[in-house]
Amino acid sequence: MTNDLMLLMPLIIVGAGAILLMLSSAYQKLTHEMAAYGSALVFAVAFLVQLSACITGNAVLFSGAFNGLLVASSFSKAAGLIILACGFFTAMSSHTYFKQNDFCSPEYYSLMVFAASGMLLLTMAQELITVFIALEIMSLAIYILVGYDRKNVISTEAVLKYLMLGAFAGAFLTMGAAFVYGATGSTKFVKIAQYVAAHGFMQTPALIGGSFFILVAFLFKAAAFPFHAWVVDVYDGASVPVTGYMATGLKTAIFAVFANFLVLDASLQSGWITYLFYIAVFTMFVGNLIAIGQQSLKRMLAASGIVHTGYLLIALVAVSTKDFTGSVIAYYLAAYAASTLGIFCALSYLGGAGEKRSTFDDFKGLAKSRPYSAAAVSVFLLSMAGIPPTAGFMGKFYIITSAIEAGQVTLAVLGIVSSIISMWYYLRLIINMYFCEAEEQFGEAVPSNLAPICTFVLVVCVFAISLYPVVI
Amino acid sequence: MFADGLFLGFAVLAVLGAAGLVVFRHPMNGAMSFVVTLISLAGLYALLSAKLIFALQLIVYAGAIMSLIVFIIMFLNIQPSDLPKEETKLVYILGGLAVVLPIGLFLAKIVKSLPLSSTAILGNDFGGVKQVGLLLFKDWLVPFEIVSILLLISLIGAVVLAGKKEAVK
Repeated sequence: MTNDLMLLMPLIIVGAGAILLMLSSAYQKLTHEMAAYGSALVFAVAFLVQLSACITGNAVLFSGAFNGLLVASSFSKAAGLIILACGFFTAMSSHTYFKQNDFCSPEYYSLMVFAASGMLLLTMAQELITVFIALEIMSLAIYILVGYDRKNVISTEAVLKYLMLGAFAGAFLTMGAAFVYGATGSTKFVKIAQYVAAHGFMQTPALIGGSFFILVAFLFKAAAFPFHAWVVDVYDGASVPVTGYMATGLKTAIFAVFANFLVLDASLQSGWITYLFYIAVFTMFVGNLIAIGQQSLKRMLAASGIVHTGYLLIALVAVSTKDFTGSVIAYYLAAYAASTLGIFCALSYLGGAGEKRSTFDDFKGLAKSRPYSAAAVSVFLLSMAGIPPTAGFMGKFYIITSAIEAGQVTLAVLGIVSSIISMWYYLRLIINMYFCEAEEQFGEAVPSNLAPICTFVLVVCVFAISLYPVVI
Repeated sequence: MFADGLFLGFAVLAVLGAAGLVVFRHPMNGAMSFVVTLISLAGLYALLSAKLIFALQLIVYAGAIMSLIVFIIMFLNIQPSDLPKEETKLVYILGGLAVVLPIGLFLAKIVKSLPLSSTAILGNDFGGVKQVGLLLFKDWLVPFEIVSILLLISLIGAVVLAGKKEAVK
């Protein structure tokens, strides 16, 4: 009982913190700076509590009262840690970002914490209706954060697109859940697995259709190939810290629930593995093509997010349903989150007022006036490209070796090819920063030290995550 | 037999109402056509002996939510000149039908494979307030509780996105 409470504690802290922030933002005295510190505190405390929880195997939380709908495992714990860290760094970089951009109110931070509570629920949910509600908690909060700048037309367009398409994805998920219920008589993952084990996956059309619609919803949220079109516009329209949060926290939560659903049963996974193979390949290469054509840095990072979804899909294809730990996926997510968050942290103070610097050309000659920041951004870009000794390299290494172990050699080779292509647009920024003459001086003072500090902490994280498997 | 006829009637009405929602040009006509769908759905719930859901569907969806939608359309005061010209509408509808058709056939196949269910009235107070309440608070406590967070977020979202900006510091 106490153990269950401790495992649930991060979620309780985040939920209570969000409600507290919401209530206190009604007071005039609470400035949005204070709200930023408050939300960072909530994330930090929840992170430490999550870290202190030791867990091996699956623990069904409050199996009596909760009817086995929430299950904590080492995978959900790792995903929770990544999500909470993403929240912490996003809160910090938002603090700096809103010194230069003027559309913040304390509710912003409350919504960010609410989104994190949805993400944490999503990592633990083991039942389709709970998954749907957790997904909507997360998505609704993110929609509002995307459209927070109401005077900005691009941001309004982004939120409208995202809301419409996201509603479609939600509808697909409910329809899929209804079909799965029709076939198996339950929406609980355990019961579905029992049914599949007893009756087989391919024998029940309703189950195939249901899981198809559920996968469509997940692939949409994870921005995989046929459903990737919204990503570039939405990431571009959102403010820099929110884009970073979406690219990391949201993706972590989606892949956690995606993996949990897929490893229900071996025949369910093998039924979809061929399609996931092609989706992974197309996601990587289409993402690369989009990223190469971009002039805006945010749009390039959005497209490179699609490519990273492709790598994570490789990990899903290669995942083994027996003794599933999700360590490869969690490790890659951590490595990807550290470098992506880092670059968005850096952009939130380098971007200037109103995000005036946004294209590759705007960052020409950054290394001369801001050598440390340029070095940090280079580390993040190299990590995303997968150059040793960064975390991104180790993450890709694990994914590719796990694909080879699972017999997916073609996929592993294509992953390496895609990763080489992606050097093009990562190195382009580095070349612009180091080998081009400066067109402007980046002279203005940094408005607050929080985002730069976070950027350098994340540089340390990138190396620490890469050393973690070597040390342990 | 009578119940089968009712089912067919409600099902056809529900689909027609949904089609009308998409096809009608003026939002008010669309909203009215949507009411037909909601009421026929209530009929379908009643055929399944889901008494409480039937009542809730009528009161909440066909009643409260529809009147909100109608109010909003009234507030916006849409004139025929405000509506976009939809000259290529027919092409879009036909194209959409062609795209959706395979999915529809697939769905029909799935639905056919589902076991038949009878429309006989179930006893034991099935679908009553007490039964649904017990189920909601015993087996489905987690979803029931986290829905409140979802509603809270939409509340904040409405205030943040639609509220007066001057009041926010």
